[in-house]
Amino acid sequence: MAQNAIDRAAKELVLTVQDYTLFASSALLNLFRPPIYWTDFLLQSDIIGVGSMTIVLLSGFFTGGVLALQSSATLAAFGATAVTGQFVSLTMIRELGPVLTGVMVSGRNASSMASELGSMVVTEQIDAMRALGVDPLRKLVTPRIFSSIVMLLLLTIVADACGILGGGAVTVWMNHLNGPQYFHMAYQQLHYADIVQGMIKPLLFGYILSSIGCFYGMRTTGGTQGVGRSTITAVVVASVLIIFVDFLVTHVLLALLS
Amino acid sequence: MMSDPLPPAFPAPGAEQCAQLETEAAKPVVAVCHVTVSFDGPPVLEDISFTVAPGETRILLGPAGVGKSVLLKAINRLVRAERGKVLLFGEDITSMPEEGLFPLRARTGMVFQEGALFDSLTVRDNVGYQLLQDAGIPEEEIDRRVREALSFVGLAETFSMFPSSLSGGMRRRVAIARALIAQPELLLYDSPTGGLDPVTSTTIIELIVKERDVHATPSLLVTHRLQDAFTLCTHRFDLDQGAMVPLPKGQVAPKTTFLMLEEGRLIFDGSIHELLRSKNAFVREFLE
Repeated sequence: MAQNAIDRAAKELVLTVQDYTLFASSALLNLFRPPIYWTDFLLQSDIIGVGSMTIVLLSGFFTGGVLALQSSATLAAFGATAVTGQFVSLTMIRELGPVLTGVMVSGRNASSMASELGSMVVTEQIDAMRALGVDPLRKLVTPRIFSSIVMLLLLTIVADACGILGGGAVTVWMNHLNGPQYFHMAYQQLHYADIVQGMIKPLLFGYILSSIGCFYGMRTTGGTQGVGRSTITAVVVASVLIIFVDFLVTHVLLALLS
Repeated sequence: MMSDPLPPAFPAPGAEQCAQLETEAAKPVVAVCHVTVSFDGPPVLEDISFTVAPGETRILLGPAGVGKSVLLKAINRLVRAERGKVLLFGEDITSMPEEGLFPLRARTGMVFQEGALFDSLTVRDNVGYQLLQDAGIPEEEIDRRVREALSFVGLAETFSMFPSSLSGGMRRRVAIARALIAQPELLLYDSPTGGLDPVTSTTIIELIVKERDVHATPSLLVTHRLQDAFTLCTHRFDLDQGAMVPLPKGQVAPKTTFLMLEEGRLIFDGSIHELLRSKNAFVREFLE
């Protein structure tokens, strides 16, 4: 009995991975084959990019602040509070900026993609679109993936900047340390490899969160309850996958760029 | 057309005829040959065969849950047949890649059970959806054609409204306008009167009769309402009066014929007279 259940679950997992791979790769390949729905791309960029700006600004700023608070306490023990800026900027640009933005945007947009597409599936709107001769993958999925990739890169830059500013604010007004020194260290110790690492990650995370959100949305079954299930699964899978891929990419990039 | 009682293995069109259909000059618009559909379990449809000829209206009857909507969706491959063959406009779509299906689907108009209107778009954008995808069509031309399609269904005033502000019957009529705007070569109606009051149902049936008699578009209509099916068969659209009128007593629309499903199997294919004379127990029970 238990063996059967494991067997079934394993098969289902393999099938899901196979379906996702086919889905995500064809949606990505559609970027290079006409028709490309530019209007939908702009619309999605506004929803994903501009719409997520507030949460990214706030989470970036306060994360930078917390980093400065925590690190200065530890660094003070070694008499190294001067390197707070370096610590905050490197952590934000290499790790926390991309991951935090990815997870925040995933919570906001992977869920909205899954619920929007899921609702369209259960009300036969996706079938109607196909019946009208329009490919839902091209019309709905590809613009969302493309916009997420571009917007997450830009949002990560904003989050990085806000994080460094937040760290600076805490350093100056709460830790009563030297502001110019903080920003000088934050800038001076930054290398090209750190920027590359910080810019590659959001491209991957944008792809993951949007393709997962759309994938679970498009395979929704079971009415409105099914929409809820798809939304939850999309957010959970996208967030976990972002952190897992972050670990793999960091490992590879550190080996390549060091 | 077949006669009763029906043999268990439905013969029209048979395997030979199916092969012939691919080579004939005057092909039917739709040819379904021994199609079986299943979803992780026993077949929902089993060994279904029939054709839709140019100018013909076929009414697919059967109680709820016998696979009528699935059959309709198998015709433009929104649902994939497990076995058998579906020829749409003479092309075998059974194993055609999805990319190749879109141009064929664009030549087909489909009205879904609940309308399936895009709820975030206005009526104008819903009806003109197919035209809006073509960057070459100017906005003024799209507006003109949308107004024309909405006038055909008597809803010109809803142009700028959202589907949420329309009644159930109005949504179905907008869905019909959406299906008609690109002048399709085949129309598929999935229970267009399901869940509507009798007056609204008659309005919808009148539109279907109008489309049949004015444009002679071949169509396949799914319904479980006998009254709607008989109205379709015994009425015509009078262009002078601008309304549906009954045919003289004893006359029926010649190209409007019936199909009936029972638990995933096609048990009847014929005219209204053959349907009324049928001795098949299920048909009799359904009619009575």
